[in-house]
Amino acid sequence: MRLWRVVLLLNLTVALGLLGGYLAWGRQIPRLARDLEQARQQGAPAAVERTLTARGVVRAVFPEANLVIVTHGDIPGYMPAMTMGFQVTEPRLYEGLDVGDVIQFTLRGVPPNLLITTLTREGRT
Amino acid sequence: MTALAIRWIHLAASLGLVGLITMTLLAGRSDRPTARQWDARVWRLAGWLVLLFALSGVALLAHQSALAAGRPGAAFDPAAWRRLLFETRFGAVWLIRHAVLLLLASLLLLRESERAPLDWMAWRVQAWMLAALAAGALAWAGHAVAVESAALAAPLLDTLHVLAAGTWLGALLPLALLLRAASAEAGADGRPFAVLAARRFSAVALGAMTLLVATGLWNAWVQVASIPALVGTRYGWLLLAKVALLAPVLALAVINRRRLIPSLSGDAAAVGRPAMTRLGRFLRWESGLAMVILGVTAALSLMAPARHETPWWPFSYRLSYEATAELPGVNARLLIGGQLAVLGLLGGIVGALLRSRRVLLLAAGAAAVVAGLWIALPPLAVDAYPTTYRRSPVPYQAASVTSGMALYGTHCATCHGASGRGDGPGGAGLPKLPADLTAPHTAQHTAGDLFWWLTRGITAAGMPAFGSQLAEEQRWDVINFLRALAAGAQARQLGPVVRTGAPQLVAPDFSFAVGPTPPRALRDLRGRSVVLLVLFSLPDSRLRLAELAAAYAELGFAGAEIIAIPMDGEREIIRRLGANRPPFLFPVVTDGAAEIVPTYALLAGEPRPLGQPPHLRHAELLIDRQGYVRGRWLPGTPGWEDLHALRGQIQTLARETPTSPPPDEHVH
Repeated sequence: MRLWRVVLLLNLTVALGLLGGYLAWGRQIPRLARDLEQARQQGAPAAVERTLTARGVVRAVFPEANLVIVTHGDIPGYMPAMTMGFQVTEPRLYEGLDVGDVIQFTLRGVPPNLLITTLTREGRT
Repeated sequence: MTALAIRWIHLAASLGLVGLITMTLLAGRSDRPTARQWDARVWRLAGWLVLLFALSGVALLAHQSALAAGRPGAAFDPAAWRRLLFETRFGAVWLIRHAVLLLLASLLLLRESERAPLDWMAWRVQAWMLAALAAGALAWAGHAVAVESAALAAPLLDTLHVLAAGTWLGALLPLALLLRAASAEAGADGRPFAVLAARRFSAVALGAMTLLVATGLWNAWVQVASIPALVGTRYGWLLLAKVALLAPVLALAVINRRRLIPSLSGDAAAVGRPAMTRLGRFLRWESGLAMVILGVTAALSLMAPARHETPWWPFSYRLSYEATAELPGVNARLLIGGQLAVLGLLGGIVGALLRSRRVLLLAAGAAAVVAGLWIALPPLAVDAYPTTYRRSPVPYQAASVTSGMALYGTHCATCHGASGRGDGPGGAGLPKLPADLTAPHTAQHTAGDLFWWLTRGITAAGMPAFGSQLAEEQRWDVINFLRALAAGAQARQLGPVVRTGAPQLVAPDFSFAVGPTPPRALRDLRGRSVVLLVLFSLPDSRLRLAELAAAYAELGFAGAEIIAIPMDGEREIIRRLGANRPPFLFPVVTDGAAEIVPTYALLAGEPRPLGQPPHLRHAELLIDRQGYVRGRWLPGTPGWEDLHALRGQIQTLARETPTSPPPDEHVH
């Protein structure tokens, strides 16, 4: 075989290899995106009842709305740290509760409708 | 040292291959025995270079593998190699380069069958492309890839740099060999071929050299980025050494091009052959210098680029327009001197272009440039110290400022005064009055200058050295405090109406917690909200806080977060604030106030002796989304008691497009 044909074939191989690599790389990105999406959906809270616990500090109590407003830390899998109002299952839970009390509380329900079911005072702030 | 040697050899082999093949392409085909002998010799050399490339490549892999695994035993561990090759960028680039090398090696074995011109050309161009690919890909595993601001351009330009270096420097030695063969008694038949090759090389080398210098300058700009980094880091020194080595190479190249190459075609016995011999010798010298340059380059590739290093300033002065612009006469001298230098430069260019009176014009131009710089630059000089460009390792944070404040009270206040005005009782008997640290000139000294004075003292002024009394971190704390002190003096000009234009006052970062929640940093709010910082004390502030609580939603809608900080630092402050309608829902800091309050009381502009409880009862500061303090209001003055006015200011800040970059966390 003439040398220039060998060279041409060689270049063709290299070009095809590069093209193949580029295409494989291009396909990998949508696949990664798909995997991520899948993982996200699996990680997302399903519509089932959940029980979560958190700590926070009481900022306000609204008995008329059955509501306690709490500045709480991160609640893994539900929401980051923020100031947020939660309703309670029964009014007795916020009896004697003052603004500035540090509490540990349990949330139960189907997100996003979670209610405080238990609540213990830990100290003051 | 091993790493350097391996990289040096590898670099030289990669570039040498490119240059070798370039040179045979440039020389072209010839049937003369001398030319054919030279060609065969060059290709044997190419074979050796391929071998060297592969061997040093394997050594590089072994070395990198040991380095990555952190133990020398991993140098020949198959698992470590696999990880390095298939999971890192270094490995990917290595694989591609050596696969290409394999192709090149097999191509070299096919050499015997080249006969027709088309084959000759196809084979050599192919070999050149493979060699260029193997060498150029080097750039994709080096420092250039880490340049975030130009993720694609930096490695591409570095590839060009490598290829230009290969084309020019790598071709020197084969050309020198050809010239030596042709200038010998027996090589007379090859002389026309050698002359042609030298001429063609000269044209190509000019282009490659220009490209090399241009891409090199760009690389230096990106990797070094500043004059202090160039003259004050090891990377910068090596780079300067590289440039210094390049200068004689360029000088030789100029002589070759202007003198020797034209005389090659002169009378063979009297002019042509001596010129050829000398050209060959010069090319060998250049080649030797090029090897040294490659050694320096290999060393550079092993070092962290200067932009990541702390410069050590080697001169006792520096030139700064910022620090001297206010002095009388500086601007005038700068203007006159600058004009003169530009005129001189123009004269020099005209002189270089003209044929007549060239020497006169060049000399006059050079004189004008020197005189211009002589007039313009000396007024810009300010004192500098080895640490002038040192950057603080301790971020500008409230905790550091507060600790610096305490250290200041113990070590500095005796002379510099409780308020930093230089009026302490201990200062009276000193040779020079202690500096007023609240004066604006403190902004003209770099943090590194202050660090030097703190560490070594100022003997002439009677300032003692604190290098042995305070740990390095403590000295930086003091410097952070001085920055806040100077900022406090500036902050007095801030009012309730936000001024547009470049903001200056960086808000020291702090961390704060509300009750049991995890601590957050002011910095986390950057780019998201305007922050209204409320320093308050009870009971004075209660009414104001109630107003803010009522307007919280509205102000939040305008783009602000409120952070309320009790000045007494009480931990049960939320409880003391108690119930309110509407409730206080903004963060009220229960942890962190002890550091935030002293720092921000300075910025609130309270002139008071340090270390005493603040006179302030209530102050509010507005921090923009970039992290600069932009507004200040104290009760009793007109301004934000009208919440509509406050909301207006917040909206202005929330809507503005940032003109300054986000502030640096470190004093400088």
